[in-house]
Amino acid sequence: MEYSEAVLAHFRAPKNAGEFPAGTRGVLLGQAGTKKRGREIHLELKLGADGRIEGCRYRIYGCPATVALCSLLSERLPGLLPAEALTMSGLKLAAELGLPPPKRDAALLLEDALRDALKGYNMTESREAI
Amino acid sequence: MSIYLDHNATTPLDPRVLAAMQPWLAGTHGNPASVHRYGRAAHEALEAARRQVAALVNAKASQVVFTGGGTEADNLALKGVCNGAPRGRLLVGAVEHSAVLGPAEALAKQGWKVASIPVDGEGRYDLAALDDLLKANDVRLVSAMLANNETGVIQDIPAVAKRVQAAGALLHCDAVQAAGKLPLDFTALGADLMTLSAHKINGPRGVGALIMDRRVDLVPLVHGGGQEQGLRGGTEDLAGIVGFGRGAELAQAELPERVTHARKLRDAMEAEVKRLPGVRVFSAGAERLNNTLQFGIAGLDGEWLVMELDKRGIAVSSGSACHSGSGEPSHVLTAMGLEPAVAKGALRVSFGVGNTEADVAAAAAALRDIVAGAGKRVAAVGW
Amino acid sequence: MDYAATTPVDPRVAEKMAACLTLEGNFANPASTHGPGRAARASVETARAQVAALVDAEPGEIVFTSGATESDNLAVKGVAHFHRDRGKHIITSRIEHKAVLDAAKQLEREGFEVTWLKPDADGLIQPERVKAALRPDTTLVSIMHANNEIGTVNDIAAIGSLVRAHGAVFHVDAAQSAGKIPIDLKRLDVGLMSFAAHKVYGPKGIGALYVRREPKVNLEPLIHGGGHERGLRSGTLATHQIVGMGEAFRLAKEHLAEEGRRIGALRNRLWTGLKAAIPGVLLNGHPTQHIPGVINLSFPGVEGESLLYACQELAVSSGSACNAADQEPSYVLRALGRDDQLAGSSLRFSLGRFTTEAEVDQAVAMVAREYQRLKALAA
Repeated sequence: MEYSEAVLAHFRAPKNAGEFPAGTRGVLLGQAGTKKRGREIHLELKLGADGRIEGCRYRIYGCPATVALCSLLSERLPGLLPAEALTMSGLKLAAELGLPPPKRDAALLLEDALRDALKGYNMTESREAI
Repeated sequence: MSIYLDHNATTPLDPRVLAAMQPWLAGTHGNPASVHRYGRAAHEALEAARRQVAALVNAKASQVVFTGGGTEADNLALKGVCNGAPRGRLLVGAVEHSAVLGPAEALAKQGWKVASIPVDGEGRYDLAALDDLLKANDVRLVSAMLANNETGVIQDIPAVAKRVQAAGALLHCDAVQAAGKLPLDFTALGADLMTLSAHKINGPRGVGALIMDRRVDLVPLVHGGGQEQGLRGGTEDLAGIVGFGRGAELAQAELPERVTHARKLRDAMEAEVKRLPGVRVFSAGAERLNNTLQFGIAGLDGEWLVMELDKRGIAVSSGSACHSGSGEPSHVLTAMGLEPAVAKGALRVSFGVGNTEADVAAAAAALRDIVAGAGKRVAAVGW
Repeated sequence: MDYAATTPVDPRVAEKMAACLTLEGNFANPASTHGPGRAARASVETARAQVAALVDAEPGEIVFTSGATESDNLAVKGVAHFHRDRGKHIITSRIEHKAVLDAAKQLEREGFEVTWLKPDADGLIQPERVKAALRPDTTLVSIMHANNEIGTVNDIAAIGSLVRAHGAVFHVDAAQSAGKIPIDLKRLDVGLMSFAAHKVYGPKGIGALYVRREPKVNLEPLIHGGGHERGLRSGTLATHQIVGMGEAFRLAKEHLAEEGRRIGALRNRLWTGLKAAIPGVLLNGHPTQHIPGVINLSFPGVEGESLLYACQELAVSSGSACNAADQEPSYVLRALGRDDQLAGSSLRFSLGRFTTEAEVDQAVAMVAREYQRLKALAA
């Protein structure tokens, strides 16, 4: 598999990896995939007082493409409204990173994790992390 | 003193080709199939060589399949086509190289009907006979060489191609001897498959190519590893392939000068040779490669002449190198209707890069010397 | 550190090859009868003797080919086709090199029947399983000596004996073992054996097939033509390649014992270091029956491609060479029963003539570091 420099840069030094401290308010959790299947993404989206996404953290078990996608996503989400985040295209991010076609599944899994985090979120009110 | 006049057997490596191969001879490059940086550089070098070979014959890079040599490419062409087709008829020229006749014979043992395309007294394919042979409705493949390694005769492949296409069969053209001596155009030639060999164009041995229309269904000969898009498995001799590419590039660029140079020398040699008693130049009436001269001297054995010249430091051959010393008359000359006694007198001189007029003079002098010494063995003129 | 995939050409080998490639050098066609041709032929025959000497064969039993892949094809297809009237059953294993697997699959397409033996949990093909699979119509058994992925070494002496008792031909792909562990074909009941120069510090694109003469092994050639190599492999010989292979095999014989010890010690150093740094690491393959330089490990808890990339990235920049698995994950490991995660997270380390202690220590540090980083990245 050949990866672009962009992918490898994210892979070597992934941005915003990890979790928000336990007890942080306004954090949405989402996940998709299983280790058994080769890819598991855990997303955490922190909402600010203005209802926009303030930060994004993630845990990732997966190939360099998946790591890079999470890292890139974590840079793109801050500032967006949840409704806007829902329309984020994983495939567009994949194209931006120059990912080869076999890695497009990673982009779709990312969208699944994002949708999972935002599911049931009432776009008109905020929620608190469990 | 050593004078090499056997370029049709093999050619010396061009120093520029060696220079191109040098970085890859140490083997520190990765596998062109592998993932990391070393592998990528190797992959790029492989594809660059592919483009160079394609350019030599005006083919697309995707039509070039690298093999371990011309013989393997001929085997891949014939067996690859026939093993994937319903058993039927295979036509091969009567003057083909053993690298084509060998697989044809193997296919015959497997039940294929193999027929020979006869040649005239000059060694040219008999097109009327070919028409007859093509009347059979089960001809799958025809193999016809572009230029003969012994006589140098150049065949009218476009005329053959037209007929083969009309009959609905595939055409394989062995261009091993023609490359570097004639301008080649795979696309215009009308063949579906074409064989090339690196060591005939001042490249290294152990590398060849099958140029093919990708629509042809080919059963691979060497499986495993998936290289060459599944058509030829095995870790590539990258240094060799890079050398092949560079050799092709140089052959393409320098073709006009090389052709002129070799022709001058060959013509001079032929003039000298014709002054010897009882000489007959084979295929004199046909269009021949610029560098090749095959002849016989009445009453003198070809192999013996080779040895006598060798003693004087001059390297030539009697017929195909592959059959040197076998004691059999050349099948090429036999197919031309020459009697065994005449055929066994054959001597082939073939010029190439590095030869000079001094070489011609020395070879001619040596021949005169040998003939004079063998005086009583030369019969009266008249074949 | 990827000597199992390919080895750099030993400078002494490169020097011998260079002598054949210059304008004044040994460039003539070895089949030509003139002086230059005879000189080329002499070099070829010297090399042939050198190859034979490494494995205690007769020079006349060595056929040069373009590599182990071609040798495997020639052996497997050649024997199957030659004996097709006697029987159409072939036995091989699931963990052979691709060349043997694909050649056997091609035979299946032609109507032959193939029994694909499974390795045991240590990656070995047990002789009893071969015995159980033999049938009256079996004409060929092909089992590799050392596996390239996991380095395990099969007991070809035992397998050879029982195949010989049956009467089928025994082919062994020894590309990975020749020059690394002793092979004595005078004592082994092996009919055909494949070799590759580029696994023993020789050039790519040249190999050989041992074809036993006593008792005679018959096979159909793969490449027909001018009758070179006793009619078994036609095609003009590449003198520089053959000379290179000869020299490589000569050096291998010279260094076999001492190199085996040194490389074995390095392998232990690597294994000990990694076990200490990563307690969960698993060894794939037999713990003692293996060639000295190969060790294949699985790393639970991290995704394989990322581990591979992490190691390679640092490897290239730091100068040491971590493994590059250029095959897909890994039919060999799956055949051992490893699940997808373990098969996917495997790294093959192969050490060789030029590996140093410092490189081994660097590799341990790098793998440990990247493993921890990726583990921390995951949930």
